[in-house]
Amino acid sequence: MADPKYAWPAKPTLLSTPVKRLDGPEKVTGRARYTYDINRPGMLYGVMVRSPHPHARIVSIDLSAAQKAPGVKAALTAKDPGAKVFYQGDPVAAIAADTEERARDAARLVKVEYERLPHISSEAAALAPDAPAVFPNGNTRKGNADETGDLDAGFKQAAHIVEATYSTHVITHVCLETHGAVCEWDGDKLTAWVTTQGVHQCAQGFAQALGIPQANVRVITQYMGGGFGSKFAPDMQGILCAKLARQAKAPVKLMLDRKEEHLDTGNRPSAFAQIRAGVDSNGRLTAFDARSWGTGGAGAGSGFPLPYIYDFPNRRRQHTDTYINAGQQRAMRAPGHPQGCFLTEILMDELADRVRMDPVEFRVKNLPPAGPNAMWAEYFRRGAQQFGWDKRHATGDSSSGPIKTGMGVSAHRWGGAGRGSQAHVDITSDGGVVVKCGTQDIGTGTRTIVAMVAAETFGLPLSAVKPEIGDTLYPFSGGSGGSTTAASVTPAIRVTSVKALDALFAKVAPTLGAQPDDLVAEGGRIFVKGNSSKGLAWKDACKLIGTEPISVDGKWEDGLSSSGTSGVQFAEAQVDIDTGIVKVTRILAIQDCGLIVDRLTAESQAYGGVIAAVNFALFEDRLLDRSTGQMVNPNMEWYLLAGMSDVPKIDIILNNMPERGVIGIGEPPTVSTASAIANAVRNATGATIRSLPLHPHKVLAALDQERAGGTL
Amino acid sequence: MSKPEPFGVSRRDFLKSAGVGGLATAVTAAGETDVDAQAGPRVVGPGDVPVTLTVNGKRVDLKIEPRVTLLDAIRERVDLTGNKRVCDRGACGACTMIVDGRTVYSCSTLAIEVQGKQIRTVDGLASADGALHPVQQAFCDKDALMCGFCTPGFVMATVALLEKHPNPTAEQARKGLDGNICRCGTFVRVMEAAMASVGKVVARG
Repeated sequence: MADPKYAWPAKPTLLSTPVKRLDGPEKVTGRARYTYDINRPGMLYGVMVRSPHPHARIVSIDLSAAQKAPGVKAALTAKDPGAKVFYQGDPVAAIAADTEERARDAARLVKVEYERLPHISSEAAALAPDAPAVFPNGNTRKGNADETGDLDAGFKQAAHIVEATYSTHVITHVCLETHGAVCEWDGDKLTAWVTTQGVHQCAQGFAQALGIPQANVRVITQYMGGGFGSKFAPDMQGILCAKLARQAKAPVKLMLDRKEEHLDTGNRPSAFAQIRAGVDSNGRLTAFDARSWGTGGAGAGSGFPLPYIYDFPNRRRQHTDTYINAGQQRAMRAPGHPQGCFLTEILMDELADRVRMDPVEFRVKNLPPAGPNAMWAEYFRRGAQQFGWDKRHATGDSSSGPIKTGMGVSAHRWGGAGRGSQAHVDITSDGGVVVKCGTQDIGTGTRTIVAMVAAETFGLPLSAVKPEIGDTLYPFSGGSGGSTTAASVTPAIRVTSVKALDALFAKVAPTLGAQPDDLVAEGGRIFVKGNSSKGLAWKDACKLIGTEPISVDGKWEDGLSSSGTSGVQFAEAQVDIDTGIVKVTRILAIQDCGLIVDRLTAESQAYGGVIAAVNFALFEDRLLDRSTGQMVNPNMEWYLLAGMSDVPKIDIILNNMPERGVIGIGEPPTVSTASAIANAVRNATGATIRSLPLHPHKVLAALDQERAGGTL
Repeated sequence: MSKPEPFGVSRRDFLKSAGVGGLATAVTAAGETDVDAQAGPRVVGPGDVPVTLTVNGKRVDLKIEPRVTLLDAIRERVDLTGNKRVCDRGACGACTMIVDGRTVYSCSTLAIEVQGKQIRTVDGLASADGALHPVQQAFCDKDALMCGFCTPGFVMATVALLEKHPNPTAEQARKGLDGNICRCGTFVRVMEAAMASVGKVVARG
């Protein structure tokens, strides 16, 4: 555990308050330079050539016509003849030319001869016994069965059993700044501006792929336009960019276009489960038996937690990954949890109806034991009161007219632990403070919280601290994923800043005639504890530093962060039963995240998580044509995302728990929204839709089925 | 907020140029006189041609292919990179610029088509001394941005909305901002920023 002197201040002045993000002015003026905005002298434009086929063998690749095209300075292949492509968009070659338009012209001149092979474009096709053998190790991979308790006994105790199949769909990350890089060589040293969630991780990836020392790679990410889990490695486009730059002896910018972004930069895997579950007459869960499957694309897994949160004492689950000819999945904002949450939470409302219990009371009755990271019971009660849950009608809005209204609820959890970030602090004799950490701000406000923690520690205003991040020149920090950044970075900044302050106290103490341990830094002054007149202004104190600055390294220590969060969300939705159109009207999200660092940006993340899940529930859907294996909507007009008019009224309640230290909040708020919406639609219509997204045709089909005899 | 047709080519211009060689390779230069038109449209391209733009009040002389979009011309040739390329086909609004008072999707507007027009980008919104435009300040105050990649487009759309409707209803504001997409999910605070800017933006005809 960390030395007590590093503990978070009991009465902070900045921490947990709403602080405007430092780089707001850069972003609103357009001055912020993202990777896409880096323009270097003599820079070329890289474009990739990709397989149009979902499964094929490359017979030949002919670059000669492309190489002779106007403006072309480099061309290379990404695969050899004889190699296979496994999805539409699988990289084959790359071109660099003096303008992007000419690079695209040249890319069209690359002649690739393919031998087309049978493909699989759906989970069901992969599972079919007569499916063509497409993947080297089989089209499916069956995992181990996971079993707890006595399943038969559990089902014997059940008064009611629900048996149904539930599913969620594949969505893509749709980072607004597409994946890509600008690469520039100086001899054998590479500088790469990369839109990445992990500068150090990316440098390692470049070094390994290019066979050069990692010390020769500098990765810079000052600003990046969204990643959501899909941007950690240089990827093929980054490596090809570096190789094109080496071949052309000129800087190259290679940013993917929107179609490539959909096809080859990751996605959230689908999830299916055929579930049989039992509940006893008192409303206690007794048994859960599930066969689950899903696809993470060509050869990638599709795991997710199941059952989610609720306590089924007797349970069994058998998962099978199915492979299809589509781009591979990558982590996407709380990987696995939105899927496991949906599959479980719809079932929970069905079970609650069987025992005629209120969904909130039913859930509370079946929760695991409460704890600091398991606050659901409290959140259910608090949320129900605030949301007006007592006005919820039983399943099926019996009012007249085509617009039906309903409420739903759902719960979630997430980890979000801290880990070994490093930091460096310089204090110079002019009073300047520079804090360096090789983390990156992916839009969450990391730059701001780095400065906040240092300023809090030094008793300075935020503007007196200069945070330096987003560059491998700065000390190691891990990738921004798993909601780990705040919990990793802020302890490192705190520890390093306290060490630097100790060094400053040692310089100042003799002048003040005090012991270093007796000094405090508050309100822009350093003074003797309990005697604020016996002190110096920060600037005057720093004059005592002399020529050699205070220069201190430090790292993350245990005890200032922790892991495990819980949250509950309520949704209200209106369903037009004539058109099947769902409109979400209200969301209430209750979330804990340990010690809140910046209340303003923490709330923004919660809003963002909820809105992302409105998209997951109602709009976005990666559509593959089963006949051709092609994505039908690789753009932003048919790949639907919410606009301003689609956004409901959202209320956020953040539960500040400073005693737990810092825990990340980027992912948890996006987990349960879609399930709460689906349960609200069920409550409104009386029809159960067991599969996302809640597109109008599925709502209408469920209503038809309900009228024909019931979906219950 | 009204979005013009994706391409700034009028039906009349289109018919004229299509009669010669098709839109892809021949575009009628903007600002032609009727006398020129009677003599038949001048074919330009497909190679580099002179294009003169007025960007944020400054004249910019370029030599570019006629197919270069307004967005790419400004980002890659003028190095004003504030407005972003995201969907590249007029669906997301990240490239929103204001041309002669109307918002346009600059990714789907040819640079050669907007010669002689007043083009405003996010880069020129703050005053010369660096003071933020009231809409930019409101976006900062309300945290109406996260990764920030959609922000320039939202800022421009908000400015255009308030210049047209200085005192919008919430419904007008929502509709005015419906042409922009954010993936981080900043909508709630973008709306707050837009409404907080009411009364601070001067109407423009």
